[in-house]
Amino acid sequence: MDTTITLKIPHIHLDPRTKLFMVFVVSSIVLMTATTPLAWVLRIMITLVPLLLLFSEGRGISALCFGLLYTVALLLMKFFLSTQSTGVVMALLTGYCGIVVQFLPAMITAWYLIRTTQIGEFLSAMQKMHIPDGLAISLAVLMRFFPTIKEEYGGIRDAMKMRGIMLGGGHASKMIEYRLIPLLFSCVSIGDELSAAAITRGLGGNKKRSSATELKLTGIDLLLMALFAILAVAFIIAKYL
Amino acid sequence: MNNQTLAAKDFITVGLFTALLFVVEFACGMLGYLHPYVVASYVILIPLVGAIPMMLFYSKVEKFGMITIMSILLAIIMFVTGMGYLGAPLIILSGLIADLIAKSGNYKSFRKTVLSYGIFSLWVCANYFPVIVSAKAYREDLLSGGFSAEYCDALFRAINTKTILILVILCFVFGCIGAFLGKAVVKKHFEKAGIV
Repeated sequence: MDTTITLKIPHIHLDPRTKLFMVFVVSSIVLMTATTPLAWVLRIMITLVPLLLLFSEGRGISALCFGLLYTVALLLMKFFLSTQSTGVVMALLTGYCGIVVQFLPAMITAWYLIRTTQIGEFLSAMQKMHIPDGLAISLAVLMRFFPTIKEEYGGIRDAMKMRGIMLGGGHASKMIEYRLIPLLFSCVSIGDELSAAAITRGLGGNKKRSSATELKLTGIDLLLMALFAILAVAFIIAKYL
Repeated sequence: MNNQTLAAKDFITVGLFTALLFVVEFACGMLGYLHPYVVASYVILIPLVGAIPMMLFYSKVEKFGMITIMSILLAIIMFVTGMGYLGAPLIILSGLIADLIAKSGNYKSFRKTVLSYGIFSLWVCANYFPVIVSAKAYREDLLSGGFSAEYCDALFRAINTKTILILVILCFVFGCIGAFLGKAVVKKHFEKAGIV
């Protein structure tokens, strides 16, 4: 072992089915708020796993941003805010910290699924789970589109900034129009290209599709599924018993 | 082109517009943390702003099933983003009814589209469902989840079994108004550009 290896994080690539299971577990847990300290610990543990996985897939920056946001919100909530806090700023802060702590774990896991799963992989996993093709295609496009929308929106925002159309300047309706319409334009044309590409690749044909990547549940997949199942059960026990 | 079964292209269209609608919902949803009354005003905001992508979507719908699939996708997203599964059947039901209405107008009649979008907008209300059904438990959850007592009180003053009927009606009405607005925007920008 040489010295540079200390910072290297092992690359873990999970099966899409494992990721979907994780999303399912985290989303279910997000519905229930943590009431006891143990439940809080479990909740934080469940948030940490997808963060680490994001790191291992080379998405360190987004993992860092998510982690920082979560930590700040958590600390603020624990030490500065209480249910008795009043006043506009405090109420606002409480609200935002509440939503971050409550929903961010689901967002992180969903983002992890979106950013680290290839469409081919995802469709193949859907096929293996016997999800109807139509629903699988729609879901895949939906998933794939969030990063695209984010990128396109960034471009539009820059363009609008150059023209001096900014948040708070002028009418709200204008603001919506100048942002939403270009976004729709670019998304529709991307959608057309996507359909053309998909049809070229035989999507929506009558034959069963084969996949270039063979999916296989490995040891680490099973380990993580088991871990999440245990965490979920432990969380429910910690909350209700 | 008169093939009645959905093709890959249709599914892609559905996925795309669901993503856009969710972005609108998410942007509006962020405002809800300013004040609980804003949460109640989702019934106005989301149908109005969402109408712009949705009217473009309606102009692309030609076959039965697309609107229903969209509602299923919405239900899935709502679950994944932590809104719960209680509202899911209602979201899908409103999507199905909206689809049937639009179908009865052969996906061409604008009057049916307005009505259909009004019904479809009710998915926004479906998200209030857990607030009403499990009001007491939900309140406890919010309080222990770090929301302020003030926020909770206002939230339940705005959304309860008495106001839900008004909210549903408002949602429907603004859905219909939104449809006209969205149609006008689509006409202004997209028909001129020849996209529709």
